[in-house]
Amino acid sequence: MSKYIALPKGVAEADFDKAIAEFKKILGADNVLHSRERLAPYLKIMIPAQIEEHTPSAAIMPESVEQIQRILRVCNRYKTPVWPISTGKNFGYGSAAPATRGQIVLDLKRLNRIIEVDPDLCYALVEPGVTYQQLHDYIKERNLPLWLDPPIPGPVASPLGNTVERGVGYTPYGEHFLFSCGMEVVLANGDILRTGMGSMPNSNTWQVFKWGYGPSLDGIFTQSNFGIVTKLGIWLMPAPPAYKPFVVRYPDQGDIVKAIETVRPLRIAQVIPNAGTVSNALWELAVVNRRADLYTGEGAIPDASVAKLAKAHGVGSWNVYTALYGTEETIAEHWKIVTAAFKASGGTVLTQEDLGPDDPLFNYRRDVMRGDLTMREFGLYNWRGGGGSMWFAPVSQARGSETLKQMGLAKRILNKYGIDYVGLFVIGWRDMHHIIDILYDRTLPAELAKARSCYDELLDDFAREGYGVYRTNIDFMDKVAKLYGPVKASVNRKIKKALDPNGILAPGKSGIHR
Amino acid sequence: MKRLDLIRVLAAAAVFVASGQANADSTGKWQSSQEIYDKVCGYCHEANVGPVITGRNLMPEYIQAIVRNGNRAMPAFRESEINDAALAGVVKLVSTSPAAAKK
Repeated sequence: MSKYIALPKGVAEADFDKAIAEFKKILGADNVLHSRERLAPYLKIMIPAQIEEHTPSAAIMPESVEQIQRILRVCNRYKTPVWPISTGKNFGYGSAAPATRGQIVLDLKRLNRIIEVDPDLCYALVEPGVTYQQLHDYIKERNLPLWLDPPIPGPVASPLGNTVERGVGYTPYGEHFLFSCGMEVVLANGDILRTGMGSMPNSNTWQVFKWGYGPSLDGIFTQSNFGIVTKLGIWLMPAPPAYKPFVVRYPDQGDIVKAIETVRPLRIAQVIPNAGTVSNALWELAVVNRRADLYTGEGAIPDASVAKLAKAHGVGSWNVYTALYGTEETIAEHWKIVTAAFKASGGTVLTQEDLGPDDPLFNYRRDVMRGDLTMREFGLYNWRGGGGSMWFAPVSQARGSETLKQMGLAKRILNKYGIDYVGLFVIGWRDMHHIIDILYDRTLPAELAKARSCYDELLDDFAREGYGVYRTNIDFMDKVAKLYGPVKASVNRKIKKALDPNGILAPGKSGIHR
Repeated sequence: MKRLDLIRVLAAAAVFVASGQANADSTGKWQSSQEIYDKVCGYCHEANVGPVITGRNLMPEYIQAIVRNGNRAMPAFRESEINDAALAGVVKLVSTSPAAAKK
């Protein structure tokens, strides 16, 4: 009987003992966790996976880059793999749990320094454990005219972690990796790489110019296991003098075509500059209702019932939430353009003045589109109850016919499994991130199994049409890597072998193994 | 930090304390149990996302267990985020809070 709750694949317990003893020497015994009780928070997931397949052997909590370097020396010696997390709040993608059983979670929460915020050049340089809340407080304390771009779990989530996962927010800086500049990466051999201009000794342009000289490397350290990102530069939006959020509601399900066709040219031309959202009626209903209060029939809620509920609750079949940013004068001009376009397409344009101060759905979008912190959207988890959630997030062209096709495809498969289509499109520049929350009751094993099969089928059927997801959870990383084709996989493997020959960094991340 | 800025921040902090709200804090160290409640718990439990947990005389052991293990949609929180001493403070604050959540 092992004294550990799991062991890394292929590592003998005696060797693991030695590694743990070394970690304790480096970090102090208090920062090396391996009892079931102290590892409990690392076992809590929302995705429909069996935690036994993702149980870590230990969690270790360094507080400096130098400690990470020493940890990696131990890992290379004993071949013990580490799974780095920043704040571990990757809900619906695996939370803090590793891709495979027995990995040691390298918990970077204690590396939480805000190294610099430059109010002139509008950037921040942060460590992995810094949360959006912490950065928000820093900016407020100094009264700096800068905005953040948090995702929904922002108060407890990491700008660095979210960006290296290529997450999104809702302001004009919504595509996070696009608005990052300069990384510090600890490589498996302990070398410290600073990307872009950061490679130059004494450079002061690391956070202002992305490319440096020669091949640009930042991208290979996102959704990746080629190195541990320990610092990240992120660009911050200067707070505009004026801001005008609004919603456009469309009455029919097929109106997704009109909505997207109207948004696209405005977005590409930057009249609408932000990563707004286009949500369906069930998304709106699910944020503020419990399903059992609205529908008690078997299986997914039928379209006719959804339409009735949407009408009764005053939400559109599709709801475009977006905003204008600038001065009062530029917004007044752009307002004429956008209202004319949306009205001509059959949408109803509404602002805070029309909706009053107490509309929870409008208010949380108003907040997130200006980078304020709110978790109101997590009301979604009360729809089904039972704590099950998994994001299926295929990328679509920003083209009405395409979003319609994806909606049809998704609904058919979800409904087959009795799961509601709770969906939203995040407006990219030329793409749409089609975000579907697979909500299920995780306390019921049969529901868990159904949710898992449903996701599997969604991946296959979407891939058959040439559609891929922008991100996936720890249970499907190998599968999604396969769907992206053999050459990509082979290049990834070659880079992995070159940079991490012992395979000690996050084996299985994005389907990349040694 | 410039001296004037420092004075401004301190003055703001004094106002926060006087009004009973958490001090804004960017050091990455919790300043009070109230700050943890406001900046972690409150985002769901004061926003109609999670259930109200104040004023219910919830058992300290129960709160402690739920925070570390999570429960249904509630995520688990790790020692690296809220250490045992800080958690004990929040647990005390929640379990002994008076009825009716503050608005």
